Amino acid sequence: MKYLFIFSILFFLISCETNVTNDITLNGAPPKLVINGGIERNPTNPRSNQFIELSTTIDFLDQSEPTAVENAIVMVNNGIEDFEFIHQTNGMYTNSEITATLGTTYTITIEWNNDTYQASDTLIEAPSFDNVYSVFEEETLFTDEGYFVNFDATDPLDIDNYYYYRVFLNDVFTIVPDRGNSATLIENDQFFDGQARTGVNPNEEVVFELGDKATVQLLGITENYYDFLFQIFEQTGSSGFSPVGNPPPASIGGNLLNITNPKVRGLGYFYASDVTEASIIISE
Amino acid sequence: MKHLFFFILVVSFVASYAQEKYTLSGYVSEKKTGEKLLGVNITVGTKGAITNEYGYYSITLPKGVQTVLISYIGFQNISKEIDLQKSTTLNFELDDNPDQLDEVVISGNSASKKVTSTEMSVSTISAKTIQKLPMALGEPDLLKSIQLLPGVSSVNEASSGFNVRGGSADQNLILLDEATIYNASHLFGFFSVFNTNAIKDLKLYKGGIPSIYGGRLSSVLDIKQKEGNTKKFGGEIGIGLISSKALIEGPLFKGNKDEAKGSYMVAGRRSYIDLFSFLNDEFKDTTLFFYDLNLKANYGINDKNTLFLSGYFGRDHFELNNFIGTVWGNASGTLRWTSILNDKLFLSTSAIFSNYDYTIDNFRSGSDFRWKSNISNYNIKPRLTWYLNANNTLKTGIDYIFYNFKPGEISPLNGSVIQAEKFQEKFSAETGFYIDLKQNLSDKISLQYGARISNFNRKGKATIPVYDNGVPLSYDDTQNIFIENEIINETEYKSGDNIKTFWGFEPRFSLRYLVDDQKSIKFSYNKMYQYLHLISNTSSPTPLDIWAPSGPFLKPQSADQFALGYFQTLKDDKYDFNIEVYHKSLKNTTDFIDGADLLFTENIETQIAQGDGRAYGLELQLNKNQGRLTGWLSYTLSRSERKIQSINNSEYYPTNNDQLHELNLVGLYKLNERWEFGANFIFGSGRPVTYPTGKYKQNGLVITDFENRNGDRLPTYHRLDISATLHPKPKKRGTWVFSIANVYNRQNAASIYFREISEVNDKEVTTGRTEATKLSFFGIVPTATYRINF
Repeated sequence: MKYLFIFSILFFLISCETNVTNDITLNGAPPKLVINGGIERNPTNPRSNQFIELSTTIDFLDQSEPTAVENAIVMVNNGIEDFEFIHQTNGMYTNSEITATLGTTYTITIEWNNDTYQASDTLIEAPSFDNVYSVFEEETLFTDEGYFVNFDATDPLDIDNYYYYRVFLNDVFTIVPDRGNSATLIENDQFFDGQARTGVNPNEEVVFELGDKATVQLLGITENYYDFLFQIFEQTGSSGFSPVGNPPPASIGGNLLNITNPKVRGLGYFYASDVTEASIIISE
Repeated sequence: MKHLFFFILVVSFVASYAQEKYTLSGYVSEKKTGEKLLGVNITVGTKGAITNEYGYYSITLPKGVQTVLISYIGFQNISKEIDLQKSTTLNFELDDNPDQLDEVVISGNSASKKVTSTEMSVSTISAKTIQKLPMALGEPDLLKSIQLLPGVSSVNEASSGFNVRGGSADQNLILLDEATIYNASHLFGFFSVFNTNAIKDLKLYKGGIPSIYGGRLSSVLDIKQKEGNTKKFGGEIGIGLISSKALIEGPLFKGNKDEAKGSYMVAGRRSYIDLFSFLNDEFKDTTLFFYDLNLKANYGINDKNTLFLSGYFGRDHFELNNFIGTVWGNASGTLRWTSILNDKLFLSTSAIFSNYDYTIDNFRSGSDFRWKSNISNYNIKPRLTWYLNANNTLKTGIDYIFYNFKPGEISPLNGSVIQAEKFQEKFSAETGFYIDLKQNLSDKISLQYGARISNFNRKGKATIPVYDNGVPLSYDDTQNIFIENEIINETEYKSGDNIKTFWGFEPRFSLRYLVDDQKSIKFSYNKMYQYLHLISNTSSPTPLDIWAPSGPFLKPQSADQFALGYFQTLKDDKYDFNIEVYHKSLKNTTDFIDGADLLFTENIETQIAQGDGRAYGLELQLNKNQGRLTGWLSYTLSRSERKIQSINNSEYYPTNNDQLHELNLVGLYKLNERWEFGANFIFGSGRPVTYPTGKYKQNGLVITDFENRNGDRLPTYHRLDISATLHPKPKKRGTWVFSIANVYNRQNAASIYFREISEVNDKEVTTGRTEATKLSFFGIVPTATYRINF
């Protein structure tokens, strides 16, 4: 429910939050395997390596970093051949041989802890930008005053498109757990199929100053990945806020299946995506 | 079993025709206002009758001289000797009882009637009582007040709905002058849509639901609006911190007679909470208010025929400048004709329209749009009441409802590129045929039984998808998840075609065994079918929830409920006490699958799973009905659980409203003619909550992982509210009501949530660190309202 987050504003008038971190005891659970990463095709700024990150879950109120998985065997198949991803440091696995091509379905196979996990996703073409520029906007209830990056783009007609927008502030990927994410960072063309859209703000939370470098990426993604992103943005944006707009808490299913023991699913998503990228320097 | 009832019926007919008898019938009304009185006792010797929902009674008596006693709580009794030589119409007017009026306020039901009536699992609370109870937010509230009764609760203070005996909020049939109210709340649940000024009477059936009602599983909340003063013009103005209201009423077509042929009542209310938004700079461009209008008029065509017209219209407005605007509300209208066909037959026929809709305007640049959604229905209900004899009353009728669902329509605003699109409308028709018999078998045993046959048709015009494997969702046993099937084809249905038909047989039965004048034991059973589903993917209902009909992919819900109770009066009706146990089993209750997205989704069947539920419990209530101090103590011990494939490993899990213990203590104390005090104390054990079992990172954000749904509990809830009413001096008009909610400022947890710490020095950032936060709604809230009657 994308617009329900708006209603929660009302509750701030009469509600009160208390930090109860120290009063809560949580029942943990055995660690689960988590994948974060995927195959990206970026003609503007090509990747030298494709990389994915593996870790396991930790207790929610444990303030250390998630435990890196360093002893997994990771293979990615592009429908023709297998490419092995080699562990570098901190759970990061890389491969420089594999090429990212449009329309290809990539399947990852992970051997870890005597279980075999698998996930796949298809690389879908993203349209190019018609224009990228900066806009000055005054403060609103939800956004700060400052410069924002905006773009114009034309949606391909008669194709169901799913988009994910990333914004980089001076080359640093910037994202915050905001209520608006599930409506802003991802979109589908259900109501604008084939239209030339103007003034799209890819992330209303990233404010630039004059002279900053702004980079915006438009990712073409599958419906499945869109659904996954929708769930994680809903969850992180609603903060489990009970009265309105929060889906009752549930584990978010990604696409990492445990072939050996299907009831113990892996978490996270292995994606493949086409990336349209542009950078500007913020000016008046 | 059925044959036995038939036999009993025949025998009692025969028995009652053995003697020469005549019928005494008529209306009972309030002397001061002419307002018809419901549930008035008419007693002649050992025989008795009560006035129906229109104030009409009919009783068959032996020929000759006898004494009729008319009694109603809060009014002076009338005792009249009559010589019955033919069937006679006799109307009564009752006068306020000055000694009793302000003392006995708990309900219109006298203590002894609770024992003698076949009804059980029924709660009433008078509008007068509601107005004297402490107010949470400066406004007497009907839905908050009924939650002080056993078996009635809500998920939290900001929940739009209420829960009855473990049922979900959409399983309550809320009727305002017979019209269905689809969303009974204003401002996201902090207020209810019912203006207590305009309400005459309400009755909540939690179980033993008679067959005249159908369509919802858990309860019926039957609310009736005031008809208006038939004798003189009058009104009331109320000024509060949150809202103000006004009511006027008076006679219609009075001429210079003492009593008019008709009367009217018009009431309005508007909140102005947004006027305080200037206090906070961030909210200065916020619009937030609600209003509602109530209307009722009646006109007596002649002695036998009366027409009623009743309406309700309410809206909520919420707008953030240049960002978003929403409007939602109910509208309903009822036209009813009641006719006394003869002294034993009473016919009422109603034509009803009801609508609920919402609009969202999105003003975000580049994609400005308007989204609209609504549900409306047209309803016709003829009902015949046949007063067979002093021991048998039969009600029968038909209840036909045509529904039109408009799930959504999007259109561009401010010249944006958003394309207009409309989800297909859904049509359906629901028909209920019922028969209900109230029967006194002996001095000890009384029965009320019957059945309802319900039929539901999902109708064309529609395009219905054909899914791979024949179903929208396939359950994957190995992974314990639902997998969405592809649409492989579509079936076209023309306007009026039946797409899917359902039938339901709903037997209803109640029995009362009178142990002696002060004690009775009661048993009831009811089966209910529900063909509409409220599809909500939040823990509690919101204004944007979607109603959907049963159809090819959504089965009707059903419930079986058994209840057993013991009722007793103590010390000459000064106190009464009752204890009930119940068990309810539910089939095909709906829940969304994990990760469902319902807004802007056309084929909602791909987002929903259906499963079983069970609820059971014990309810106890002790009322003090007389004296300076009146009030009640209620206690509920209960469980409510659901079992739906894929959710919680397909095992039973507690519902959001599951609460093991709930205790309410309500007291009203009359100090003197001017001062009255009220207090209520609420105690409830913690409601379910789902705590995280782990966390991980994805796309730079911390994601929470969960295992068992509702596996943990919030802290205990308790709160004390107090109020004081200052009545005017003699010959003055103004009344003050002061109220303090949550006196000792307890920060009750509405929820506990877990999140990444994302604000550092007022800037939104990602930190990777996590915290647990308790959310509480209002702390201590003092309010005052001022009322003037004229």
